[in-house]
Amino acid sequence: MDPPLVNEASFTAAANPNSYSLAGLLSFSGGLGLRMGNLGGGDEESTVTEQSGSGNGGAKRRRDVGTSFDDESSKLVSTSSANQDESDYNAKRAKVSVSESEDQLKMEEETHSGSSSKPVEEKSKPEPPKDYIHVRARRGQATDSHSLAERARREKISERMKILQDLVPGCNKVIGKALVLDEIINYIQSLQRQVEFLSMKLEAVNSRLSPTIEGFSSKDLAGPAFDANGMIYGPQTPGVYARGSHAEWLHMQVGGGFERST
Amino acid sequence: MAMNFHQSAIKTRFAVRFVQAMKRLNKRRGVTTTDSYKRYRATRAAACASMASAVGPQRAWSRAVLSKTKRRRFQAISRKRRLINPRRNLGFGQEEDLRGLVPGGKGMEYCSLLSETAHYIRCLQAQIQVMTDILHHSSSLN
Repeated sequence: MDPPLVNEASFTAAANPNSYSLAGLLSFSGGLGLRMGNLGGGDEESTVTEQSGSGNGGAKRRRDVGTSFDDESSKLVSTSSANQDESDYNAKRAKVSVSESEDQLKMEEETHSGSSSKPVEEKSKPEPPKDYIHVRARRGQATDSHSLAERARREKISERMKILQDLVPGCNKVIGKALVLDEIINYIQSLQRQVEFLSMKLEAVNSRLSPTIEGFSSKDLAGPAFDANGMIYGPQTPGVYARGSHAEWLHMQVGGGFERST
Repeated sequence: MAMNFHQSAIKTRFAVRFVQAMKRLNKRRGVTTTDSYKRYRATRAAACASMASAVGPQRAWSRAVLSKTKRRRFQAISRKRRLINPRRNLGFGQEEDLRGLVPGGKGMEYCSLLSETAHYIRCLQAQIQVMTDILHHSSSLN
């Protein structure tokens, strides 16, 4: 089965090894979207699975909702085909499986790992599939690698923004990214102001009551007094806070053996 | 990303370091120093640097604080230009404000800036609590 596939009319398409997979992906994702629309699935998310190895297998697809994708989608660019014959073969099989995708989709949605039971796979050598890249795309969204990477990045940003929103008190009710950022900035400023206020107080205590501070032992502080989880966030202390002085607290030279404790 | 934040361990480490630094400051300047603003600045810097060293070098913001303190301390001649990632998106006003507030935030990628901000907020909360406790403790002793 292999030699006629290689020498057929798909040679021109396969001469450009990057174009075939993209074309297959795009046409396939449209087909899958239609398919999912007919099936009436609850969530309209499809997973395009592409194999980036050059030696084995063609473009395959399966439905896989629970995949965790981080930023592997950028690897989609690195689909390299070293061997020209293999890429011919892959292209041909991609075309064949696109035409046959109606039948395969039903089967794959049930078995979910039907790599060996596919009719296309039966024609080839039974090689174990490896090195898959899972990419999730909603219906109607672009599936080129830049859009996918950007989508993954945006998802990460919104997830971290949610963490920050949980961290800043009173920030859950705020809607809108700009307002949330405003709240976060205000909160950090107030915290830094509080640190400055406290260090001013402690400096006064330290200079006035030097024997008391000397009487501190580390055991007092290592006790369970600091295991209380309730975070203190009182009203903002009215500030000696000057905006220009913020960068300078880092530059402050603390002299002595302060560095030794690191 | 999961934030494994060992709050009590960091608090304990910060408290130990901060009290040691305060003792050292007290010993160094003696009893008869008059410049209270200088002492305040020293105390504040001690608080920030103790927090950074309590967190350790695995966070970007604490690394930034520590390297700044060290650079200042040893009077390094070569003021290294800060590495700015050219691919980072040029943010608007708020994002730049946030970069200015979080130590080492310049030149950070936006995703990591957000996670560093979250960690920094938690560390500031812990720091405030410990410092408040020290203040209460020392004033109750008196």
